[in-house]
Amino acid sequence: MKLTGIEAKRRRTALVLTAPNVLFVLAFCVLPLGVLFSYSFFQVDFVSILREPTFDNYNRIIHSETYRGLILKALIYGLGVAVLCGVIAYPLALFIAKRVNIYKSALLTLLLIPLYTGDLIRIFAWRVVLGAEGVLNSLLMWLGLIDEPIWFLLFSPFATTVVLTYNYLPFMLFPLWAAIEALDDSYMEAAMDLGSRDLGVFFRIILPLSGPGLVAGFLMVFVLVVGDYLTPQLMGGSSGVTVTSAIHDMFGAAFDWPTGSALAWLLLSSMALFVACVVYGFYRSPWGRGIRKQDK
Amino acid sequence: MSSDNSPTSSHLLEARGILKDYDTFRAVHAVYFDIPHNCFVTILGPSGCGKTTILRMIGGFESITAGSIHLEGVPIMDVMPYDRPINTVFQNYALFPHLRVEDNVAFGLKMRRMKKTEIRSRVNDALESVRMASLARRYPSQLSGGQQQRVALARAFVNEPKLLLLDEPLGALDLKMRRHMQVELKDLQKRLALSFLYVTHDQEEAFALSDIIIVMNSGRIEQIGTPVNIYHAPENTYVADFIGGANLLEGRLTEFDSSARRGHLETEIGTVEAACSGSVKPDEPASLCFRAEEIGVDTGIGGDISFKALVSHIIFQGSSKLVEVHTGKHKLIAKLDHDVPVTVGEPIKLAVAKAKLRIVHGSPVVAKEIH
Repeated sequence: MKLTGIEAKRRRTALVLTAPNVLFVLAFCVLPLGVLFSYSFFQVDFVSILREPTFDNYNRIIHSETYRGLILKALIYGLGVAVLCGVIAYPLALFIAKRVNIYKSALLTLLLIPLYTGDLIRIFAWRVVLGAEGVLNSLLMWLGLIDEPIWFLLFSPFATTVVLTYNYLPFMLFPLWAAIEALDDSYMEAAMDLGSRDLGVFFRIILPLSGPGLVAGFLMVFVLVVGDYLTPQLMGGSSGVTVTSAIHDMFGAAFDWPTGSALAWLLLSSMALFVACVVYGFYRSPWGRGIRKQDK
Repeated sequence: MSSDNSPTSSHLLEARGILKDYDTFRAVHAVYFDIPHNCFVTILGPSGCGKTTILRMIGGFESITAGSIHLEGVPIMDVMPYDRPINTVFQNYALFPHLRVEDNVAFGLKMRRMKKTEIRSRVNDALESVRMASLARRYPSQLSGGQQQRVALARAFVNEPKLLLLDEPLGALDLKMRRHMQVELKDLQKRLALSFLYVTHDQEEAFALSDIIIVMNSGRIEQIGTPVNIYHAPENTYVADFIGGANLLEGRLTEFDSSARRGHLETEIGTVEAACSGSVKPDEPASLCFRAEEIGVDTGIGGDISFKALVSHIIFQGSSKLVEVHTGKHKLIAKLDHDVPVTVGEPIKLAVAKAKLRIVHGSPVVAKEIH
């Protein structure tokens, strides 16, 4: 049985190649989370940590309207920005994938450039645009459309949403573009041939068949938005408190690692649950047939 | 071109001078052709000859640069694909991978907002007629090439189009499956009493299926005719060579009677008097054309034109053999019975019946020398 020799060799190679990755993830992702998880059951006594397991932290957070509100707010922002990114990115991805020929790579590079500049610079650039004496207000006043600056443009949920959408658009755009690029034009032509108009082609063919790209983009944008506390802090003004910044405070100034850990774990699990619900909802919907099909 | 002598306006589709330019490249040069009702028409040509472009212009996927297309007398140049009563079977089938076989077939009917019960019965009938009803719940990826082909056909004709376009639909199938599907296609076309416009580069396929063949070459139509017509009365050297590789001998037209369409051609094997194809003109190149199977060993019977040649290759083909011979600068292929004694390097005396000879327009295609 020479074949088993080859099989064994292959398995050995696979093991050698995957082991470092598995170890890395275990050491730097699973282990810290595990430590965090165990801390979430401890108590803090002034400056020392009492290692006596209790559910107090979880109880306190679940019964606190503030924390519940913060978690919910994070999820809503995540969902809202992901949806906005999807709505903006779809036409763009479709255009780049199916209408642009020569300048395709140039255009894609151009869309990536904002990511090179760093969070802070982008955020401050938007401050210049949206501020009371900023570009947009000045322009509107110069045009005579408004008499005094629109204040809610900056330091508001509006400003936060705009900048978050701007920041994370590429993470939606690229998976979508890759999915649409891979779509054979003949599917679209066949749909038209069979009497489907443009919108029908989109909803019946393009959307289901680019579903995996949409789900990938949604997950990335959602997770990144929930985790972003810099943008809300710098753009949101009084609305800038987020659950992430609360966690940050717990581990920093408040020195309450157990509560921070519990809050982090609650956020993590509610995110996971929420994402699972959204993806499952899409999967069951008529547009999810493109993903559904793969598992036969 | 149709079997009855109906006036031109009764054609299903009329293409008048349709032309396609891509930037500076002219893919299709103003071509004219008709598609009669209930007729199997094939566009035959090598890859890149513009045949698929013509199909796509009729389907509405490419605009036409100039010319007109009329369907039952109505111009359709500005009609979007979804409004044309024409359906296409795509080269790669283009079955929607996320829809089951039955939903693929129902797609067009749903777009027309047909009643659910009606859709179900029509889909079932269509799948029944391509013997795919038992696999209606499958996804395309779970089907073999031939099965996908049948579903693609059903998805197109279930809409009862006036014209069905087929873009090399058998190209991806193996030889046995192809033969099988050819019979089914022809059968289906007769049963549906529908016109098919079929595109292929395979001449045997074109012969097996078509009522009318349109032979194309680099964006131009070389000849339109029935398979018999195309094979036995090629217009020019291109058609003669492309269809079954006829023997061609270049010659000089010494006498030409344009009304009787007969002429005298001076060639290597002597001056012959033969029928001329419609495109033969005095002072333009002309060649003598005859088929490999029309050559025999010279028996000295009158009515034949006989010539000497040197045998250079013999290819065994079972009951017969192909013998390549040289006559001066030309190479000829003769199909001889397997028991005719032939030796490579030896001279042989061959003959062709005068009635089989034909003078066609053009010089022998150079490309033939390569293969």
